[in-house]
Amino acid sequence: MSRLSPMRLILIAVLLAAAIALPFAFDPRGYAIRILCLALLFGAMAQAWNIVAGLANQVSLGHAAFFGIGAYTSTLLLIHFGISPWLGMIAGAVLGGLAALLISLPTMRLRGHYFALATLAFGEVMRVIANSWGGLTGGPVGISVPFAPSSLAMLQFKETRPYYWLMLAALIAVTAIFVAIRKSRLGYRLRAIKENVDAAEVIGIDTTRTKIIAAVLSGGLTACLGTLYAQFQYFFDPDTVFGVGSISVRVAMIAIVGGIGTAIGPILGAFFVIPLEEFANQIFSAQAAGLSQLVFGVLLVVVILVEPRGFVAMGQRLARRFRREDRS
Amino acid sequence: MSSSGNDTASGRINRRQALAFAAVGGIAMPFVLRDAVAQGKAVNVGVVMPLSGANAQFGINSRNGVELVADEINAAGGIKALGGARINLVIADSTSTPTTAANVAQRLLTQNDVVAILGAFASSLTIAISEVTERRGVPLLTMSFSDQITGRGFENIFQVVAKASVLGKAQFDGTMALAATAGQKLERIAIMYEDTAYGTSQAAGLREGAKAAGVQIVMDDAYPLGITDVTPLINKLRASGAQAVFPVSYLNDSLQIIRAMRQQKIGIPAIGGAAGYVIPDFEKGLGEFAEGVLSIAPANYDLAPELTERFRKRYGYFMVHEALEHAVCMDVLAQAIETAKSTAPEALRKVLHGTRFEAGWTKTMTGGAVQFDKTGLNTLSVPVMVQWRSKELVTVWPSDVAKAKAVWAS
Repeated sequence: MSRLSPMRLILIAVLLAAAIALPFAFDPRGYAIRILCLALLFGAMAQAWNIVAGLANQVSLGHAAFFGIGAYTSTLLLIHFGISPWLGMIAGAVLGGLAALLISLPTMRLRGHYFALATLAFGEVMRVIANSWGGLTGGPVGISVPFAPSSLAMLQFKETRPYYWLMLAALIAVTAIFVAIRKSRLGYRLRAIKENVDAAEVIGIDTTRTKIIAAVLSGGLTACLGTLYAQFQYFFDPDTVFGVGSISVRVAMIAIVGGIGTAIGPILGAFFVIPLEEFANQIFSAQAAGLSQLVFGVLLVVVILVEPRGFVAMGQRLARRFRREDRS
Repeated sequence: MSSSGNDTASGRINRRQALAFAAVGGIAMPFVLRDAVAQGKAVNVGVVMPLSGANAQFGINSRNGVELVADEINAAGGIKALGGARINLVIADSTSTPTTAANVAQRLLTQNDVVAILGAFASSLTIAISEVTERRGVPLLTMSFSDQITGRGFENIFQVVAKASVLGKAQFDGTMALAATAGQKLERIAIMYEDTAYGTSQAAGLREGAKAAGVQIVMDDAYPLGITDVTPLINKLRASGAQAVFPVSYLNDSLQIIRAMRQQKIGIPAIGGAAGYVIPDFEKGLGEFAEGVLSIAPANYDLAPELTERFRKRYGYFMVHEALEHAVCMDVLAQAIETAKSTAPEALRKVLHGTRFEAGWTKTMTGGAVQFDKTGLNTLSVPVMVQWRSKELVTVWPSDVAKAKAVWAS
């Protein structure tokens, strides 16, 4: 497993080529491509979350904090100083990483539910700050990204296609980082921590420091994706980018539905959850009010009941069954 | 969905197979629905409203208003300039998240070929949608208040009501006028508002009005949406010595605040900031405590009862202002299509910008008509002050449209 077989390499190359060419099959400013963009973005977010939750088993419910920091940092720099969102993204990543460091120092010693609750609170604190510090953030009214002509330098496009490629690149980059970490020394340390923190401590791993490194990477990457979101959506408010339901829990859910701790899981999860929500909305929202959200929720519950460990585990189980049938 | 009834077909179907059916059904259904809609000549109009989540009730009211007008137009023979084309509403749930609102707007534009979009009550949702409609050059008609909506230089957005800052200022000025008529000079007022977009921007308007009039604000408190105990607020209000209080909130908080005030026998006038203060549930929740409560409103149904009573007849409650204003949006759009004799976005935009709409539902607005300036703001709309009188909202200010004299409890 450590080296990719030629077959796998070819498969990945073909998939990549298909993913890059995919937008040409759709209306360049249309709806389908927009949903694909969001699926790619949320896949990348879930992958970034996966670094700390999947590898170190520290389930965070506060990733919206880093996402919002990224969105606000780049947008405020753009509004007040005309700084390109690319530079804003770097600034946001630094701030997001710092925030992750700050929150990790006291919380990384917590385990399980306690860690999840502490991070949940952190996300909420950020939302309240953004809501009440109106002088900086524009408060609950939200802020709009200033209109600019289409250009890569200002990260703004009239058509949706360029966003698709950007989001695809983001997903690939975050996934590559995830895979690299998993295979690195850091990854082995994280895995040891995941299996048994006390045992890891005994064999000489500085568990807290290791977890903090993972959290800072994850937070910084999530902040970068916040910038992408702001440039894609052009408008956001504190409840959107710091939201528990809209970001924190959704990101965790995507990774869990897909398969936590695996590289492909968050991608599968994103391409299931995001389109599913849209389909439910499309089919049911003209009928009874609220029905679409209900259907979406019920389908998610069904999926988790069928396979709590996500699609990846489901696939492995099916594969095992087929192999057994072959032999018999 | 369709999976539950399948068990009998082939003896037993396990969970996984049922799930597969559900998934296939889910993927196939939009295409089936699309074909059904595509048949027949119709003008597709997008209606994006929060039909679930915190603002669901307001979204449903709004949808009812739009439906009423669309059905009336269709019953009267559709759009005549287009050979009697029917209006086909494509309704979508924006939920309460701007991301979803923008997604569904994009979907309506590309998959349903809507000629315009109406919506979406909450300002944050409307702004998110406008980023999509502006880039595609399709008109968006809205009754959201926020100043940002027409303050960004967009060409394809049309706001039929006065802006939030104007509303906040009118809430203050109207109160001063009513007090003066009753022979009281207000010197100390209290403001309490929920810390949402709507609450904070309206409070800013109130503050400005008070500053300009030299009135002292003795209490200026924000509180979180969904507050469960208002006692500290009310105690502070009592201690402040305010002569009138301006609470700005949605329904649940408004019920708590007024109830707590009246139970503690604080009889000073309360002047609400629309939203929770001008819907039937306010009176249902408070009963006799509602009597005499004032509120600012962008419009009120008693200005044109001959039209708004149709709403009450169909839905069983009075035509709340968001339903009324969305009805106006729908009617203005239909009139614009009639005038333009086309549904091309450029033609519609030109007519919307350059016409004074005076027919049909525009009579229900304060100006008696609708005219958009180059930013898309309806310049004729003036906020009104309404008062709860025996389970109905009566317009009491400004005097040229008032239906009754305000009861001022000083």
